[in-house]
Amino acid sequence: MNDMRLIERAVDMDDIKISARNVQVYYGDNHAIKDVDVDIQDNTVTAFIGPSGCGKSTFLRCLNRMNDTIDVCRVEGDIHLDGEDINDKQVDPVQLRAKVGMVFQKPNPFPKSIYDNVAYGPKIHGMAANKAELDEIVERALRRGAIWDEVKDRLDAPGTGLSGGQQQRLCIARAVATEPEVLLMDEPCSALDPIATAQVEELIDELRQNYSVVIVTHSMQQAARVSQKTAFFHLGNLVEYGETGSIFTNPEDERTESYITGRIG
Amino acid sequence: MNQEHISSAFDRDLEAIQALMVKMGGLVEAAILEGSKAVTTRDVELAKKVHEGDKVIDELEERINEESARTIALRGPVSSDLRVVLAVLKLSASLERIGDYARNLAKRTEVLAELRPVSGPDKALRRMAKEVQRMLKDTLDAYVRRDAELAEAVRQRDEEVDEMYNALFREFLTFMMEDPRNITACMHLHFIAKNVERMGDLVTNMSEQVIYVVTGDMPDDNRPKSDETAYISGET
Repeated sequence: MNDMRLIERAVDMDDIKISARNVQVYYGDNHAIKDVDVDIQDNTVTAFIGPSGCGKSTFLRCLNRMNDTIDVCRVEGDIHLDGEDINDKQVDPVQLRAKVGMVFQKPNPFPKSIYDNVAYGPKIHGMAANKAELDEIVERALRRGAIWDEVKDRLDAPGTGLSGGQQQRLCIARAVATEPEVLLMDEPCSALDPIATAQVEELIDELRQNYSVVIVTHSMQQAARVSQKTAFFHLGNLVEYGETGSIFTNPEDERTESYITGRIG
Repeated sequence: MNQEHISSAFDRDLEAIQALMVKMGGLVEAAILEGSKAVTTRDVELAKKVHEGDKVIDELEERINEESARTIALRGPVSSDLRVVLAVLKLSASLERIGDYARNLAKRTEVLAELRPVSGPDKALRRMAKEVQRMLKDTLDAYVRRDAELAEAVRQRDEEVDEMYNALFREFLTFMMEDPRNITACMHLHFIAKNVERMGDLVTNMSEQVIYVVTGDMPDDNRPKSDETAYISGET
């Protein structure tokens, strides 16, 4: 056994980035998330898995208050980011989302140049004093998005002209440009081919050095490949949460076992 | 886990490799009984049959390896499914080794048939082989029924086989000291007894694999062991 690999897999149990307690989500009368408690660690990739409609995306969206934008949606319970209540009235959701970035299922670059796609967030948050600083931020973000080498000679070209995999990495670069602390990814690879998927997964593993990454995925193999912690959701309940290796070799709950082995949908 | 997969072809793949392993187990059980019968009755014809039969056992193991690799590559089994594939691989490897020991019994039959008979230990040898075959049968039953308790019981029984081997070891020493003309035959018979004892060890490993499949954990190393022959000197 390679010792390095063991160290790499190890998760620092003390460093909790997000702490959620008694979280309930209702869509009108529908109780979509039932009493979820979870601690999400820093510098860790946490995967949410579960069948369609189990609440994993809904819960993910609680973490940066994306559910605020849905009228019928009501969120209860406590979610703390670094000990601060994110649902506090004092918290500006726009500032929160700069700290807790998000990448969606379909790559959705703005219909602007590659440069402007990445520069937009830093600009509105006033992160750059001048053009030179902004250039620096854009380059750093594109490098972190593992796409710099592919686009450095055509930063003025439209972001929508890139391939699907490149667009998704551009969206990741855009998300990291505002220097977030947490990166939420809702099925970031479902529209990508296997090679682009591998590139994004490699990127996720690198991002872990600086961020806490939470990824929702329908691909259990992807969860197994990229995450250190896995949470299994079923019918709005968090059924099991644990070290990814344990979840995929010997889960404690029958429902987890049935799901990961392909026995229930 | 009795529930079926959504993909029925996955169920069929897993059933296929397990069926091959159980079939292999049946052939190995027969090889133990026939090998020990051949050697104790000096039946050269039966010995040949056992020798030939080992080829079939080896081919089955190869087939299980191929099918298991295919299942891993195509289905990506996890959790209990992964344990089934890993266990089938290990169980079939143990069965193949036991088959080799049975073939070795058969090989020595021909030599023994030419030698001055030492017939005293025959019965004990047969009894020992019979016990190992029963342990193997119970292990395979425990596998099929996912019965960890039965597997644990088999694991504990290896001590009896070890004790039978200890007794035979002493008996061979006595025979050889009584009359040096017995030495060649006793050396062969001793290897035979040792091989049967090794079969018992392999069956014990197999029962541990069964416990792993059922519970997800390997049992602790706390079973009784009684092979004391490493400490026996000729001064008896």
